[in-house]
Amino acid sequence: MAQFNTEYQRLEASYNDSPPGEELHVPEGMKSQWHHIENLDLFFQRVYNLHQKNGFTCMLLGEIFELVQLVFVVTFTVFLANCVDYDILFANKFVNHTVSSKVTLPDAFLPVDACSARIHGNVLVIFILVISGVFWLHRMVKFIYNICCYWEIRSFYTNALKMSMVDLPYFTWQEVQAQIVEIQKEHQICIHKKELTELDIYHRILRFKNYMVAMVNKSLLPVRFNLPFLGDMVFYTRGLKYNFELIFFWGPGSLFENEWSLKSEYKRGGNRLDLAERLSSRILMIGIANLLLCPVILVWQILYAFFSYTEVIKREPGSLGARCWSLYGRCYLRHFNELDHELVSRLSKGYKAASKYMNCFMSPLLTVVAKNVAFFAGSILAVLIALTIYDEDVLSVEHVLSSITLLGVCITVCRSFIPEKHMVFCTEQLLKVILAHIHYMPDHWQGNAHRYETRDEFAQLFQYKAVFILEELLSPIITPLILIFCLRRKSLEIIDFFRNFTVEVVGVGDTCSFAQMDVRQHGHPAWMSAGKTEASIYQQAEDGKTELSLMHFAITNPLWQPPRESTHFISQLKDKVHREAIGGLQEAPVDSHTYTSIHSLQSEEPHSLIANLLQGPPALSSQYVDNDQLLANHKSVAVVDGGSTMCSPISTSRHLHSSYPASHGLRYDHLTGTVGRGLVGSGSGSRAWEGQLTSMALSEYASTEMSIQALYIHELHQQHSRGDLSRHTWHRQDSDDSSEGVNDAEASHSLPHSSTFPCIATPHQQGASNNHCYAATTEPLTSIVRGQRSAHFPMGDWVEEVQGSDDELPPQIHKVT
Amino acid sequence: MNCRSEVLEVSVEGRQVDEAMLALLHTILLHRSTGKFHYKKEGTYSIGTVGTQDIDCDFIDFTFVRVSSDELDRVIRKAVAEFKDALNITGSDGMGQISLEFYQKKKSRWPFSDECIPWEVWTIKVNVVNLANEQERQICREKVGEKLGEKVINVVEVINRHEYLPKMPTQSEVDNVFDTSLKDVQPYLYKITYQITDSLGTSVSTTMRRLIKDTLAL
Repeated sequence: MAQFNTEYQRLEASYNDSPPGEELHVPEGMKSQWHHIENLDLFFQRVYNLHQKNGFTCMLLGEIFELVQLVFVVTFTVFLANCVDYDILFANKFVNHTVSSKVTLPDAFLPVDACSARIHGNVLVIFILVISGVFWLHRMVKFIYNICCYWEIRSFYTNALKMSMVDLPYFTWQEVQAQIVEIQKEHQICIHKKELTELDIYHRILRFKNYMVAMVNKSLLPVRFNLPFLGDMVFYTRGLKYNFELIFFWGPGSLFENEWSLKSEYKRGGNRLDLAERLSSRILMIGIANLLLCPVILVWQILYAFFSYTEVIKREPGSLGARCWSLYGRCYLRHFNELDHELVSRLSKGYKAASKYMNCFMSPLLTVVAKNVAFFAGSILAVLIALTIYDEDVLSVEHVLSSITLLGVCITVCRSFIPEKHMVFCTEQLLKVILAHIHYMPDHWQGNAHRYETRDEFAQLFQYKAVFILEELLSPIITPLILIFCLRRKSLEIIDFFRNFTVEVVGVGDTCSFAQMDVRQHGHPAWMSAGKTEASIYQQAEDGKTELSLMHFAITNPLWQPPRESTHFISQLKDKVHREAIGGLQEAPVDSHTYTSIHSLQSEEPHSLIANLLQGPPALSSQYVDNDQLLANHKSVAVVDGGSTMCSPISTSRHLHSSYPASHGLRYDHLTGTVGRGLVGSGSGSRAWEGQLTSMALSEYASTEMSIQALYIHELHQQHSRGDLSRHTWHRQDSDDSSEGVNDAEASHSLPHSSTFPCIATPHQQGASNNHCYAATTEPLTSIVRGQRSAHFPMGDWVEEVQGSDDELPPQIHKVT
Repeated sequence: MNCRSEVLEVSVEGRQVDEAMLALLHTILLHRSTGKFHYKKEGTYSIGTVGTQDIDCDFIDFTFVRVSSDELDRVIRKAVAEFKDALNITGSDGMGQISLEFYQKKKSRWPFSDECIPWEVWTIKVNVVNLANEQERQICREKVGEKLGEKVINVVEVINRHEYLPKMPTQSEVDNVFDTSLKDVQPYLYKITYQITDSLGTSVSTTMRRLIKDTLAL
């Protein structure tokens, strides 16, 4: 090694006394303690949690109350079981009182020594007490640990991010995130990179959730079962989820070495069989442990359910008939890189439409029965109440009070089975509205919205609360069975999944490769990424998840710079939607100069935020405004009124929507002329409240825009998958579109007006909404349908032909009561 | 993990192990050491000088530079010797890795002990080969020398990148960043650990620690 034979001289340096005239350095010191945080995953998760829990104090109080609640639940149960003399309470036994004859509550309590003797004598009670004591202690330790950790995060917020805890609830997560990205430049929280991106933060917070979403997406997890009598079932409870996470991510011997890296042996394909063997034996162990702990968990679940739900059921018995998004649904509907609050708000927006949709399917048989039961129960109740009003001594007759209560409950339950009068169901449209919010649905639902199969499948995503509680109660028994008999069989697939779909990202660690949202790697040719994707069938994400996630992430984080292919994909899609929207607008006979001006402004800077804003949502907003106006004008027309309340599940949220965009629409009009890109600035600069308003409005726009894109992508996908259509489907499709044709006509007429003159409704519009029930009922949906309407243009010119045919009632009006 | 990690791989003959390890470890430490800090009253400090020294290897055609600090050398030699012993116990054709981890101490509040947060980890993977005859040994001698030369250039390239280094501390914090126990030189706080391939799986204690941590962090 010739080049290394240089002459190094040993410096005879004096270490103790420095030579005179030597350079002096100024230490920078540790200005902040936030440089170079060891576990960034946990750190970001905590930052996010603290934000979601609205600051430190709220969290502290919440946790303390939870602990207190726990103690209360246990002691109260034990007390009720052991220390109450029920004979006295039910007056089967008389108390000898000298002073008064009244029985007081304390009379029913057993004396302390008798009570403790009873507790000591009962092994089961001791068992429960010990279990809950251990559990409580564990929670307590965790609580203290958490408090210490979150105190750090609190000082991070106040010192580094300069956000006080009082104001925290009024900052959006996007703002917090932007601030974190900002301070990375100064503090170097992450040492791998000079700058953090939004995606890095998301990846760290959602690392394991992304894996779970991907596994559900690829149907790897055993959550769907085909049972002999019950048919296709989905069983996915919190307990099961906990066990999955325990096995894969953090439990002893899990696949992950720590929060951020997969164990190296799982990254190599060499001994996959061996690893699968090990995984399956580990699953067996955990399954058996579950089985052993089953009684404890079961007791706990029952107690917990009893105390948290009985009060609710008593207060509003209808709540059991209410629905909620199931855990499986949450997993199935979640985008890659979607934080909890984003998912929750999206699903909540779809809730109304979804429950309306489910209500469309009331069994006629049940309705008849319920009506009659309600009649009989109602008459008895009426008599009892009348008697009580006449003389309240009736109440003291045995069982009168309880029968009144029971009859009341019975009637409420029955009523939930009786559909409301004046209700118009249009399942297909409802499903569209739902899709606009939930963004995912299987292909075969479209066009089959009125079928029971669709309803049943949708019920898997959107289940009864009662079913949810029941499943949670059954979970301790079923979970070990699923683990032992179903998950173990999949262990090889799981090993392969983790090996194939884990990528190491610099500065983030091992993440699920789906979460990179790379259309080229995981795109599905049937979902707009044909020609771009190089993925094999195994690598494709189902249901267009990659594409939709990419859109969603780009829309929620407008400042994020996607990689080149993704940028191309996004801009192409936006372009398409935009072009067709504009194309649709220009067909309108009325003056569209506002829109051309918007158009020109947009072409100046096609990638800017302002373009996005002006392109989609303001158009919507004006529509919203317009719809409001229309409704106001036609309050007298009963059909419109009834129809709109029936068939516009977004009607309430629409008011919310319209208020923001309306004001902003006006502001944009002022702004566009002069400031142009100043709008973006107004988010950060200007006065505080304005910034607040803008960021709120931005998130509203983002969600609306996402809805449009989702509908558009779905529509394209539908057309793609239809490929060669049979004559029959064409026919049906045709009549489907007749309804949308009506919307088209209205939308395109009303749009240009509203942006400048929101108060004026043209006679034509009035006519349209007066015309017949259907037009009116679907009208509030126009805003959403718009995105999907535009999709028809590339297919052919038949939209125009159809437009005139608004007299036919489309077939998807399933049922009119 | 919020820390850079660099991996170097070498395959050497049994008797070359300690020299190769020393060469690489010393090369890295040469670039991660400074002279002693002398703090002045006004909050400034001056840096003492560091001597360097050429070391010729006996079993490899290679000369490397190290900080001329015998104390540091002694510490490194000891670690390398332990590593070599561990390798020998498992058999001559063993595989192992030695890692040099630079870390920073962070003072924590009362219930927690001080955290040691690594910011850079160098992992040197060693593959010990058996050679049949003297001629092969001769070739190996040159080959390994060349390889080590490449590695040294690698190391220098990595170190030349402008990446995160702990900020220069004030007098009170100097122990959190630098190892001040040596008289003549002041490297960043470092830790040398080694693993032999047979025991590459995580040890019982780390598993237990993780288990406790995980249950707390539920």
